[in-house]
Amino acid sequence: MQLPTLPNLFLADLPPEAALTPALVRDACISVKRNRAQWLLRRRTQEMVDLVAYNADRWLQPDFSFRRLALQVGSTEMGFSPPTMARGLDAFFRQLTHDHLQGWLVQDLGEARRLDEFAAPPSELRHGRLALARGPELLAQVAAGNLPSSTLLLMVAGLLLRSGQFIKCSQHASVIPRLFAHSLAELEPKLGSCLELATWPGGHVDLESALFGEADCLVAHGGNDTVEDIQRRVPSTCRLLSYGHRLSFAFIGAEMLGTYLARKVAERAAHDVAAWNQQGCLSPHVLYVEDSGTLAPDGFAALLAEALAKQETLEPRGPLSPSESASIDQRRGLHQLRAAHHQALHRDAITVPRGPFFEAPSAETQVWASDGSTAWTVVYEADPSFRSSCLNRFIYVKPCRNLGDALRRAEVVRGQVSTVGLAASEGRAQELALDLARWGVSRVCPLGRMQEPPLAWRHDGRPALGELVRWTDWEQ
Amino acid sequence: MTFTITQSLTEFGVQLQARLARFSDSGEITDLDETAFDQMARSLFGLQYQANSAYRAWSDSRGVTPGSLRHWRQIPLVPTAAFKEVDLTCFDSSASTRCFHSSGTTTQRPSRHWHHSESLGLYRESLAAWFRYHLFAEEEPSDESSRWESDGRIAIISLTPPAEAVPHSSLAYMIATVMERFGASDSLSIGTLDSLGNWVLDTDRLLFALRRSLCSNRPILLVGTAFNFVHFLDLAEERNLRYRLAVGSRLMETGGYKGRSRVLDPEILHSELSRRLGIPRTHVITEYGMCELSSQAYSHRVGEASGAGNQFPPWTRIRVLSPETGAEVQDGEIGVLGVLDLANTWSVLGVQTGDLAIRNGTRFRLVGRVPQTEPRGCSLLTA
Repeated sequence: MQLPTLPNLFLADLPPEAALTPALVRDACISVKRNRAQWLLRRRTQEMVDLVAYNADRWLQPDFSFRRLALQVGSTEMGFSPPTMARGLDAFFRQLTHDHLQGWLVQDLGEARRLDEFAAPPSELRHGRLALARGPELLAQVAAGNLPSSTLLLMVAGLLLRSGQFIKCSQHASVIPRLFAHSLAELEPKLGSCLELATWPGGHVDLESALFGEADCLVAHGGNDTVEDIQRRVPSTCRLLSYGHRLSFAFIGAEMLGTYLARKVAERAAHDVAAWNQQGCLSPHVLYVEDSGTLAPDGFAALLAEALAKQETLEPRGPLSPSESASIDQRRGLHQLRAAHHQALHRDAITVPRGPFFEAPSAETQVWASDGSTAWTVVYEADPSFRSSCLNRFIYVKPCRNLGDALRRAEVVRGQVSTVGLAASEGRAQELALDLARWGVSRVCPLGRMQEPPLAWRHDGRPALGELVRWTDWEQ
Repeated sequence: MTFTITQSLTEFGVQLQARLARFSDSGEITDLDETAFDQMARSLFGLQYQANSAYRAWSDSRGVTPGSLRHWRQIPLVPTAAFKEVDLTCFDSSASTRCFHSSGTTTQRPSRHWHHSESLGLYRESLAAWFRYHLFAEEEPSDESSRWESDGRIAIISLTPPAEAVPHSSLAYMIATVMERFGASDSLSIGTLDSLGNWVLDTDRLLFALRRSLCSNRPILLVGTAFNFVHFLDLAEERNLRYRLAVGSRLMETGGYKGRSRVLDPEILHSELSRRLGIPRTHVITEYGMCELSSQAYSHRVGEASGAGNQFPPWTRIRVLSPETGAEVQDGEIGVLGVLDLANTWSVLGVQTGDLAIRNGTRFRLVGRVPQTEPRGCSLLTA
């Protein structure tokens, strides 16, 4: 879409009738590389950190024009209500402080100066070893289709590494990355000339070949099919880093289910379900609740429903497409039917259903749902098998005996789990985190912060900045 | 004739079946106006509420009982997915003679719609009446129909397997019924099953049937699923086949791919079929049906232009509901298609399909399936 108040700086700003060609993409890549060599390559890390932090600070100001535009078009283009969008953007930009940016460089590179000069932490210096890290010349990105945060994070990484960047956005999620790029260009037009953004339907082979042919590093987000398809088409001159789909769940310990705490925990869970309308890989699909607490898991589900209803008044989910709404509606219908059937069997004390054709659904089901809309849904199922949600604030609550039990039930998604939100006492947390790590989870965080990973988090268990660089070792 | 309040489902079924038979003969229905439909639907709901515990539980949970019901629009619709979960039948299992399953991948539990002799009688009458109305729309025997068999019957060539081979297919049962009622003696089903139970096309037999029709210059009625016809188009492309079937030939395509062939846009599918077979576009009809219903919708009558949208018969009503609010959508808007089908006398009359549709008066245009209609996990889980 066109943003009327913005100048045409990037390919993505062009009107839809301006068709992209492979030559146009190639030329754009070449000029980004040229500008990068001239304006970006020789800059110091500290300058880049200052710039990123300063810009982030602008984004946190309520009256910042790009932020205002983001909240406005975010709801019309992406379906996030302004409060949901504001929360998502704040969670991201609050991370971009000097301190965090420095910390990220040190964590992933061992030494923050290593992008400027040969340097090393003491452990390496002792052996007379120094090293210099270099970012890609042209960092290409095939961005995720749903949320802007991973796209923005990679743009920040590219800035720290002084890479030229070409971001291929999905058609429905280009607005926020574009506004971010414009905000940088407004600060420093020369910096803007080292960035390019474009949108085209995924899998456009000619355009992508032109891009992949010019880039020396490509980060691809998307479904497994998308990623595999890209893998086949990337030339050997370009390094591919791919991030496939991940999903997340939460675990709530019995000790957190006391009368006072349980309500707090439910609020934190509601916070995670509502963040980015549950669309990211870090949003929970299922909450596993230990069944030995003061409050039973279905009681917790009822508290969660209250919390989601409250969340909806503060931070409405916003409109969905008919097929997204229908997806929720159908799923709700099915669970409501199970609930009604179960209740009727229970009430009529019929142990064997009169129809012999089916085994009766044996597991208890309860549904709490927003009235007159699909805004939020809580489904409690006594059947503890893992289920993936249809998202947009649709959450399963399931009982488990303990974490081991929950993990056995989640075996079907093992290896694909990004984050586990944990609500447990301090005394237990370490042991639980260790069990989760050994099982293969790549991030454990407190419930309520699932969609707010720290800047330096290891995305899918990999160092985001560290993966992008190439090293020169110098043995003195 | 007015509708008399019935005491039993059998009585209801008998009354309805008589009306359907009259419709089948005359092509007109005069005694199913809004008032009569409302009366019948509410009466049927009351009977099903008594006889069908799963439907009763569902209706109770929606706050609808026979006592509270004021209008057929309040009758609760059961999602088709419910047919996978619970028994939605009004008769005792010992009476059941047949069960129709939804098609789909073998890993999922299919929908199951149970039938006994009375319910099958209604199904046959309902499907035949509306089929005849659309596929044999000519009122007077014309030149083209004189080329049919002397008894006025047309050879029906079905690309699906015969009903005996696929006893759980409501489509195969429907085709067997129309062959029996309207088909010439050389009608046949030429589909077969592969070792995995997938429906495949016996191409030799199909080409033979097409050639025979050409040689005798007798029109035929081709029937099949969308994927059957895509397989045929692929074969025609590969062998560079193009036919000009006898005047009066016609084709009925019933939707559905189930991942068994590439998916073609319906417009392209129909114009390609028209081109390859020499059947005018006005004689290519789309049917929409499912095992959970006893009536079907058609795109248009033979010889008429398509485009207004699909239509169910007068003994049904459609509702196109906003999935967000549950309210009826306006004309031209998208919603989830629901059908109230009186011919579903012995199961449940209100069914909410898994299809999104645009409402056009009493007609509808399909827009697509509701994604992930049941919680079977995202693609990750099936990988």
